[in-house]
Amino acid sequence: MDTDDNQAIQYLEGLLGRAFRVHTTDSRMFVGIFKCTDAERNIILSSTYEYRFPSPSAVQAAASASQETWDEETVKPPSSSVKVHMTSRLIGLVVIPGRHITKIEVE
Amino acid sequence: MLPNNEVRVPQPRVAQPAWDITAEFTEAAAKIKSGKLVKDELFTLFEAVGALEIMDSKMDSGYIAPGENQAQALEDDYDVRRELTPAEVVGLMDELLCHEMAWHMGHPLSQTLFTSIYLDKLLWPVPRTVEDAQFDRTRPATDLPLVNLVLRSYCLALVKACDFVHSRVAAEYFFEEEDFVTQLYNRNLLSVFDPSHFERLLDQAIDWINKEAEMDEKLRDAIRSRLVFRREFLLALDRDLDVLESRSTVNFVSCLSQLELLTDSVALGKSVPEAFSLKIQRKLASTVPPRPIVHISHEDALAHLKRLCQDAIDMQHMLDYHGPSNFKTAVWTLLSRKPQPSVYIRCLLQALIISDMTILGAVSVKQFLYDDIAELVLPSSILLQANTDEVELPTDPRFQIAQHMEGFVKRFAQPFVDTVRCACLNRCRIRRTLCHTVVDWDNLQMEAEDLDAQLRTLTSERPVPIPSGEPTYSYPLSSWAYHQKLIQLRLVLQMGFELSIYSPEELPGMYWYLSHICTTHLGHLDRIRTFTVAARKRDLMATSSRPDTSSQPSSAFHQSFRSLERLTTHLIAIDAFSIALHALYVLLARHQLLSPASSPQAYSSEKLRYELRMKPFIPVSLPELVPFQAFQKEANLEGDSDMTVLERASNAIAEARRAWETTLANGAFIEDPSSRTPLPSTTIEEDWKRDVKDTMRACIGTSLAIETIKKALAGPTEMATLEVAIPDAGSKARWHDWWVVPQVSEKKRN
Repeated sequence: MDTDDNQAIQYLEGLLGRAFRVHTTDSRMFVGIFKCTDAERNIILSSTYEYRFPSPSAVQAAASASQETWDEETVKPPSSSVKVHMTSRLIGLVVIPGRHITKIEVE
Repeated sequence: MLPNNEVRVPQPRVAQPAWDITAEFTEAAAKIKSGKLVKDELFTLFEAVGALEIMDSKMDSGYIAPGENQAQALEDDYDVRRELTPAEVVGLMDELLCHEMAWHMGHPLSQTLFTSIYLDKLLWPVPRTVEDAQFDRTRPATDLPLVNLVLRSYCLALVKACDFVHSRVAAEYFFEEEDFVTQLYNRNLLSVFDPSHFERLLDQAIDWINKEAEMDEKLRDAIRSRLVFRREFLLALDRDLDVLESRSTVNFVSCLSQLELLTDSVALGKSVPEAFSLKIQRKLASTVPPRPIVHISHEDALAHLKRLCQDAIDMQHMLDYHGPSNFKTAVWTLLSRKPQPSVYIRCLLQALIISDMTILGAVSVKQFLYDDIAELVLPSSILLQANTDEVELPTDPRFQIAQHMEGFVKRFAQPFVDTVRCACLNRCRIRRTLCHTVVDWDNLQMEAEDLDAQLRTLTSERPVPIPSGEPTYSYPLSSWAYHQKLIQLRLVLQMGFELSIYSPEELPGMYWYLSHICTTHLGHLDRIRTFTVAARKRDLMATSSRPDTSSQPSSAFHQSFRSLERLTTHLIAIDAFSIALHALYVLLARHQLLSPASSPQAYSSEKLRYELRMKPFIPVSLPELVPFQAFQKEANLEGDSDMTVLERASNAIAEARRAWETTLANGAFIEDPSSRTPLPSTTIEEDWKRDVKDTMRACIGTSLAIETIKKALAGPTEMATLEVAIPDAGSKARWHDWWVVPQVSEKKRN
């Protein structure tokens, strides 16, 4: 039991300092450096960027006009084949409550 | 200066391949014991407190409440393509001006200008050309000239004006979030574009409005004056440093003349509150929680702008260099205006005062330093005349003197210029900075003392007997450094009164300390005078044997004596006034007429308070800190009867009034005897005179208070019927911020 716990802690400690992508219930994604977590799975990220999937109107606008992209980050919405940029902004140090996390990825 | 916020330099991220670890992570996290953390060693809980909580509406600026339509939450319904009436355009322009001024006053862009939907459309995505910066980029803006030409050119010129202000402030010494917020939230203030683009657009807009015959005349004038103001303001900010060359503030003058028209037509505007939205904060790169829109009134905004223009105009009166003391007086007086000049003005002044090691673009810092030393301690001295260009023989004492002096300039020029530049900080920071620099100057004085000892062997200086002791050497450089330090110590105390740092029970002691510093300073000036007189005598004897020498030394000595005289008069005035207030407060304290700020149960005591107040003075080796026992005895005038103290107050205030009269008559500035034309009278001089006159009013107020006490002391119980009010700094009853004059009156009988 104890060694199992230690392994779990070691696993988490090994992830410290890595770049995480944390998805939240409101379909935003936060990309930042993993700094801290606890039993509730609350996650603290530093130098975080918030990514938001383009709004339906933006997708529509992109579909109707072949407009230029302004951001490096581009995604393909699954429903269509137009490229729409995901809007991102730097928001710095954040804590994401465990209950709002839907998915965790490591880069 | 404060470290750059991480947001200011966002680094583009390169996407890496990533894999899902949700399950492993969740499982592992569940095994952490409750209350324990897995964290980066270097990451502290203290830092964690500053983290923004995602999905918390108060912290997370990107939070969209459940049920809120995502499209609506991010994009406002407001249609920037819609037609606007002239009244709405006036309203929008004025609202934007209010936001611009709020930003000037220190509010962040995210709560002011960046809440404007019009500006957001212009600035994001970042336009690559001026043409790109349209309210609606999807279609060519040929229609609605009132929106797409008039309002757009106004907005673009406004943003460019902000760009100039931003770069001016960011380049100088200021305090982030205290004076100003430089944060741009990853937006750009059109900094890559030349202002001429926007001037041209404004000219087009002005042409168009002039031809609009059908528009109501008043509204047309209102819009025109706003466009003209924008053009002049942009030009003024663009050329703000040119004033050193041109001596012209014509653009600021025209701004000021438009401001009257602008003020009169505010009422014509119709506000369009829907054109401003907090939702834009959801898109700004920001490490702070969402915050409300800042609203300031039109009156406040226009008043701020008017002062800014006026200060910029008056600044030209201090650009001609007429010696160090005139320069210092002008800078200090201009920056002591109430309310204090805005951060833009204070930063512009810093740039004008010194850039590229040159004062006012004309005088080298070395010259400025030498002028000041010559004026105070070394008129016509070999120390300041020696240079290695003329004498190249390394064994020649003049060569060695020049080398020593070069080292001195390197070490002292910057701190000395900083004593002047310090006045450009906000008032609280001035005092705080003084508390630090006074310690630096203590060290500088010691270094100067070593240098003096080396130099005097090179100049073969002979000691001079001083009235109260052994023959001694002059120590010119360290004397000068000590003089600087004493000025700073005095300012620490006087700024303390201005910033309302001292509680009522401390006032007797603080005024005693002020007079103690003045007395020390006066003694120091006497010492300097003794050596200057001796030097003058030697000089006269030398010239009488060489009749062909010029009269230059004579005028230098003359100037130095006059300068010492002025300094002495001013210090006597401060000294006498502080003695009078000290004595007056001692009487008030003795008769329990001061209501103390600390409660009787408070932990504070007179001794602890003294330690706290004297903190800046403790590390200073000279003048030594007065030990608490001695201070207590002096500050409370122990052993003196009420009548003795009263007499002391009356005599001192009479002397103070005379000395302030003389100070006023001496004037703000020293006239240059070599120039025929007297210095022109300026607004800065008016400010200085007003300041002295306010001090004289404070003297009269003190005399009245002393008279009231005198009458009360004559009777058996009258003192108990008195009450004392201490006017707050900045209030009308407080004649001068540096002089806390109590209002003593009889209690009103009910």
